[in-house]
Amino acid sequence: MAFIEIQNLFKTFKDVVAINHIHLEIKQGEMLTLLGPSGCGKTTTLRCIAGLETPEEGDIVIDSKSMFSQGFVQPSKRGIGMVFQNYAVWPHMKVYNNIVYGLKLQKLSRQKIQEKAQKVLEMVGLVGLENRYPSQLSGGQQQRVALARALVGNPKVLLLDEPLSNLDAKLREELRFEIKSLVRRMGITSVYVTHDQAEAMVISDRIAVMNSGNVVQLGTAQEIYKKPANKFVADFIGTMNFIAGEVVDVLTDTNNVYVKTPFSEKMGCTTPNSTATIGQEVYASIRPEDVEVLTKPPEATENVFKGKIVHKAYLGNFLFFFVNINETMIRVQVPHHLPQKEGQELYVYLNPKKCMILS
Amino acid sequence: MSRGSISLAAILWLVIAFLVLYPLSILLTESFKIAETGGWGIGNFLEFFQDAYYLKTFGNTLFLSTLVLLTTTVFGVPLAYILARYRHWGKTMFTALILLPIVLPAFAGVFAFIIFFGKYGTVNLLLMEIGLVEKPINFIYGLHGLVFIQSLHMLPFIVLGLSAGFTNIDPSFEEAAEVEGASSFRRFFTVTLPLCTPSYMAGAVLVFLWPFTDWLTPMILGQVDFLPSVAYINIAYHFTDMHRKYMGIVSVTVAAIVCITLFLLARRWVEKRKYTGLSKGTTSEGRVIEPGAWVKSGAYAYMVFIAILVLLIPVVLGLAAFSRTWVFEAFPTNWTLENFRLILLESPGLIKNSFLFSGIALIFGIAFGLPVAYLIVRTRVWGKDALDFVITLMLAFPGIAIGVSYLLAFWKDIPLARYWIIMPLALFARRLPYFLRMAHSSYLQLDPSLEEASEVSGAGKIRTFFSISLPLLLKGVLVGVVMFFIMAFQEISTAVFLYKGGWETLPIGIYLNWHRGMEFGIAAAMAFLMIVITFILLLIISRIGGGVLKAAWGAGEK
Repeated sequence: MAFIEIQNLFKTFKDVVAINHIHLEIKQGEMLTLLGPSGCGKTTTLRCIAGLETPEEGDIVIDSKSMFSQGFVQPSKRGIGMVFQNYAVWPHMKVYNNIVYGLKLQKLSRQKIQEKAQKVLEMVGLVGLENRYPSQLSGGQQQRVALARALVGNPKVLLLDEPLSNLDAKLREELRFEIKSLVRRMGITSVYVTHDQAEAMVISDRIAVMNSGNVVQLGTAQEIYKKPANKFVADFIGTMNFIAGEVVDVLTDTNNVYVKTPFSEKMGCTTPNSTATIGQEVYASIRPEDVEVLTKPPEATENVFKGKIVHKAYLGNFLFFFVNINETMIRVQVPHHLPQKEGQELYVYLNPKKCMILS
Repeated sequence: MSRGSISLAAILWLVIAFLVLYPLSILLTESFKIAETGGWGIGNFLEFFQDAYYLKTFGNTLFLSTLVLLTTTVFGVPLAYILARYRHWGKTMFTALILLPIVLPAFAGVFAFIIFFGKYGTVNLLLMEIGLVEKPINFIYGLHGLVFIQSLHMLPFIVLGLSAGFTNIDPSFEEAAEVEGASSFRRFFTVTLPLCTPSYMAGAVLVFLWPFTDWLTPMILGQVDFLPSVAYINIAYHFTDMHRKYMGIVSVTVAAIVCITLFLLARRWVEKRKYTGLSKGTTSEGRVIEPGAWVKSGAYAYMVFIAILVLLIPVVLGLAAFSRTWVFEAFPTNWTLENFRLILLESPGLIKNSFLFSGIALIFGIAFGLPVAYLIVRTRVWGKDALDFVITLMLAFPGIAIGVSYLLAFWKDIPLARYWIIMPLALFARRLPYFLRMAHSSYLQLDPSLEEASEVSGAGKIRTFFSISLPLLLKGVLVGVVMFFIMAFQEISTAVFLYKGGWETLPIGIYLNWHRGMEFGIAAAMAFLMIVITFILLLIISRIGGGVLKAAWGAGEK
């Protein structure tokens, strides 16, 4: 049974559809990430869960309680903690007062408040900074205050709206793991919004990829990377080569299809969801790391193409080639000991099992 | 959009309808009333624009507006440039001095300059004493004096807008012109100045409208053939002559229509071309130049010259306030506290009234302004923009138009004008934009997520407002409060139509004492008192803006 259920949620801003009838179920204790480019509706969805936006249609059920359809439940009554993109740490209150603000509203005893505050301060590593004003803290510390404030009241649900996007890269990477282990330890159901695919893959149990108001794919990081539902997901998560073409033959029993591309009249591919029809316009898609590079022409010729290295880039643990095959460029990731230089010719093998068709 | 904000909007609209829209609509309908027949028609307006006298008055006012705008521009452009761009000592002090006339009552300047530059004023007496002239020179009585006094009063509006413009332009625009090979002179006229036109226009329109608003300065200088003065005389002195009364009402209406129309046109124009926001990454200080020695001393001399003119106002009034029978002397010889004794002992009511009326108006202003600011910035309630629009229009509305419309609206059907509460109500309506603008702009700077974080933490809307929004808005709100109070405190154009015996405020007392003839000692003492009170309030603003709350916001906050 889902802990948070998003049912047929629909919301517009002026004439723009922000969320287009989406459904999502989030399990108890799960960390789900809403991932997508800006304007895809991920933040609006999060704000609907928080009650900071009201959808025009649909409902959200948290812990078997409806948030909209049976009377609007105020944000303050939803039992949520939220971390905002710009932290939203109140500048006129000291760290301690920021953290205990919600507890005071719950009319807890002074001792109880102190206990809880102490615990959360230790958890996020802010002990000793209780009496500072936010302006005397670094960005990372302010983020910890925001996190502590969201966690201190033991919320049923934790909402995080791009909480790391204002931090520098190094700190961002550190805090990803910290947030993940903290939230997992506390077992809070949480929804995380980000546009950073690496962040989403590190932090979440499942990822919902969103685009223009729709959830286009829901799954674990691995599922989304290995079996993207469409071209958008494949493009957004990681790097993908797309070779435009047209389906010329479908072998239904093996999920194999043949596609006419600029590379060949009949290029072997697989279809992840066996829905291809002859004549369909598709993209033969393969990840750079799945492309095999050969320096000599192999014996088998299926899906082997001759190309020319146009650019070569050294990226530390591997090399990146931009290879021109019949005036179409594909990116290839190769071990860095390969001696080829720019301008040289080579052969690439696009393994049909790893070359999927997407649209 | 919640039910709460809809009902809030409804209440605020009711207030605006009652205190702004209703009286102004009465003014407009009255202007179509034919005095002789009691009927309706556009006869009054036809007569106004056919009558040689009123037409001349209208033309005079337009001419005066043009002259004042020209003068303030010619003097203001270099001043703004110096203040914004040159690195020099005493920048804050000079800026404060040059902007001072904004908060000084307009009549204070008139009185001070009459004493100083009048026929037998200080300058003329000194000139005659050393034998440079035989007969006194007419420095002040006439169009030139009017232009001088009104220009000095309005100069800050040009300087304020332009220097903000000069500071906010992205330096790379000018650097690009420099790289292209434009001389500094050419650069200024082809890049810098055109980019600043929006900020210039915003101030220029207020300057241009001032002669359509200011009835007092022309009257005191004996130049009554200007629209607002004629309106005042017709309505205040000739209220028994129905024809003149209605021509007065038409004059007020015409002045108001001119003001509103030009204000709106300028606003549209400015909104269409806002260049300053075009690029990012401007430094807060803008482009600052270290000028050469000659230029620098020239700039200093110029600033000192303007600063002295401004400073003359409080200094001369101060001298007059502490002296008795300062007549035909370059400087007073008979020092006394008699003027203050008279004010404090014989008519303490004036001071009490001023504080009481402005104070009550201020309470109305806060109680009204904060919710309006909230509605405009934080909600999507229908009609909020119209509310903002109407309130902003009050900035351009001539004070006498509000005074007259209140008199017409609240005398017979709704006899509010028979009770003293009309005074604070009128002050409230007239000065509303001053508080609202501060509250509005500080609300805009308040990140909504700070409030949302509070709601998520379990606080309701009202609690969030008091424990999060208000403390964070406090600085802006306090500055707005003080500005509102200063502006209400010196209000005369509206009050002069509404006061009855016992309701006189300090500005009205000043006007009456001056009017009565030779009591300018008392008038000067009152004006001086007002300036002192204004100074104290300004000191409070600068303290708020600078130090007190700094700890909570840290050094990063400007």
